[in-house]
Amino acid sequence: MKQKVTNQTRRKMLIGGAAAASTPLWLNVANAQADTIKIGFPTPLTGPFSAEAQDQVKAAELAIKEFNDAGGFNGRKAELLVRDDKLNPGEAATRTLELIEKDKVNYLVGSLSAATQLSINAVCKERKVLFNSISQSDAINEAKDWSVYTFHESLNPTMTAGAVARYSIPRYGKKIVFLTADYAYGHEMVRAFERAGKELGATTLADIRHPLGASDYSAFLPRIKALNPDILVLCNFGRDLVNAAKQCTDFGLKSSMKIVTPVLLYTARLAGGPEAFEGILGGTGYYWGLEDRIPTAKAFNDAFRKMYNGSVPSDYGALGYAGIKSVLASIKIAKSTETMKVVSAMENLKYDWYKGPEYYRKCDHQAVQTVIIVESKSKNMKDKYDVFNILTIEPTTEKNMRSCAELGHKA
Amino acid sequence: MNSLFQLIARHRVLTSTIFLAIFPFVMPYEALAINILIFGLFAMGFNLLFGYMGLLSFGHAAFLGIGSYLTGIGIVHYGLPWGIAILAGVIGAAIGGLIMGFLAIRTRGIYFSMVTLALGQIVYYIFYKAESLTGGENGLRGVRVDPFNILGIPVDFLNPVVKYYIILFFVVIAIWLISRILNSPLGAVMEAIRENEKRAAACGFDVAKTKLLVFILSAGICGLAGSLRALHLSIVPIDSLHYLQSGQAVMMSILGGMGTFFGPFVGAAVMLYLEDVVTTFTKHWMAVVGLVFMFFVLFFPKGIWGTILSKLQINQDSK
Repeated sequence: MKQKVTNQTRRKMLIGGAAAASTPLWLNVANAQADTIKIGFPTPLTGPFSAEAQDQVKAAELAIKEFNDAGGFNGRKAELLVRDDKLNPGEAATRTLELIEKDKVNYLVGSLSAATQLSINAVCKERKVLFNSISQSDAINEAKDWSVYTFHESLNPTMTAGAVARYSIPRYGKKIVFLTADYAYGHEMVRAFERAGKELGATTLADIRHPLGASDYSAFLPRIKALNPDILVLCNFGRDLVNAAKQCTDFGLKSSMKIVTPVLLYTARLAGGPEAFEGILGGTGYYWGLEDRIPTAKAFNDAFRKMYNGSVPSDYGALGYAGIKSVLASIKIAKSTETMKVVSAMENLKYDWYKGPEYYRKCDHQAVQTVIIVESKSKNMKDKYDVFNILTIEPTTEKNMRSCAELGHKA
Repeated sequence: MNSLFQLIARHRVLTSTIFLAIFPFVMPYEALAINILIFGLFAMGFNLLFGYMGLLSFGHAAFLGIGSYLTGIGIVHYGLPWGIAILAGVIGAAIGGLIMGFLAIRTRGIYFSMVTLALGQIVYYIFYKAESLTGGENGLRGVRVDPFNILGIPVDFLNPVVKYYIILFFVVIAIWLISRILNSPLGAVMEAIRENEKRAAACGFDVAKTKLLVFILSAGICGLAGSLRALHLSIVPIDSLHYLQSGQAVMMSILGGMGTFFGPFVGAAVMLYLEDVVTTFTKHWMAVVGLVFMFFVLFFPKGIWGTILSKLQINQDSK
């Protein structure tokens, strides 16, 4: 008997719950129009990429400051809402939901790994919120993940690894061995390097895969030595790259082959030191040394130095700067903060924030930009920031990128 | 006053439901409330095995992940309606529980924990390697719930409040189920096994079968939490299957009070809320959360909820 009563109460509760669920739509309508232009900025402030992330935030703050100092948009100032995504895609999705639903941000810029940017993009795409990604990924431009609200300020593996292949293969030889961190990003790098290498007649002798976060590479080194390639490509990052580079150097591989890496990060090089990276060349989106030849790089560096006690921006930092700049500039051009108007303004944007002229390719919103090939220095360094020689700047044309048809976009 | 508490404790499903129905309005934002709901359910499912039967599993992330992935794969690759996809997630997780439980219950104590940990890692690598289905490292994207109608009323799953109550609906069903299990003879046998396995066997109970059954039930409930998480985040990250996620269930249960009905939920709420609030102020959030966790473990050995219950002297049967 007692059981029956509680069953009925429960049923009432459920009906009540369903009724409650359909009503509170009005709760979120209030405060739709805030005073400031809010830009959400999820990035991994904690975890293995925190150094890069903090630099992104610093440079993004600079872009916000420049916008506000110039009077904002019709007197409306911009505001950066930084959130720690902990390099965890689940956390990144939750934080993005928070930014959109609670903080009512107008746009999102940010992220620092393929997985987190894809999760942020998935959330933004469904809610029709503009997201300008500042981390490398090939997948984000593919039709499956892409939406009209998705922009990709960063380079992607096809562009960086391709540029490194085009630079190194004609100079050092056609026999290639890859040492690859066994995860999506490593695989994308190999695929992109091989894609560019095929046109140059390169052959892959082996793609040796190691688990992510491996500390000991000695087991692979004799095999690499025995294969005797012309070029060894290290498709790994952060500490993996530092460890692999160190052990390859100690093993004496550099005497018989050239070591290259698709992405040579400024911060990783600072952390790894000159010995480990001696003579290793790679691609990057930005190096402060560009200031000798590019005026906007000089202006960006000077503004950054002034704001942050003489330190220079890193490659990922520069992306944080450009990511914000592009969105804010588009608001001014569109004369509106409305998402679709800003999207079309960004599609037509021709900009030069820090590294020369850039624009977003119409079909997939990938920023068409240069790739800088740098080589790590070990001698004659002026100060602690002086770590790379710029070997060349490859002006990326759309023909070096995967075509829109290849990415699955129609028309 | 005390009788009021006794009354609340007796109708634990009803009171938890009322509490959870007003919960999103006291939280800073709905996505966090939904996360707490989901992880609370995950910890409650885990606690069934850990708190009530004394089996410490380090592999429960496997069920969270299987639930998430099967629901996600169902929607993304096979276009299943989301209700069916949830069912697929729960059943898949329960089958996973059957297999894992079958292998693990032969062992005891630390060996049980190690076996579950190892099996959990195997599940992790299976899903990690099945890249064409799961997206591997990048995770599975595009788990979306299209707008639909309930009794002619259009429901937009993207509205956070609506989403909360839809997810709450499933969570309440699970809470009711857990309560029923614990109130049944099976629940009594579970506690008997926790207290003294040999004596329970001597009384004529089939210890092995009970363990397996509870393992499956626990896995299914954690699978439901995973399924709901996939719908909530609209992605399935690979770290759903990571062993740290299993560790989180252990921590939430201990923090809230293992072996109490609502304790794991309290643990999940305190941990996630704290983490959320502290990370907006400092990047050293781990230190703060760690200190708070240590404080509670040292001074509240029964956990937050367990301590409250014993202070109120609520009798053991209805805790």
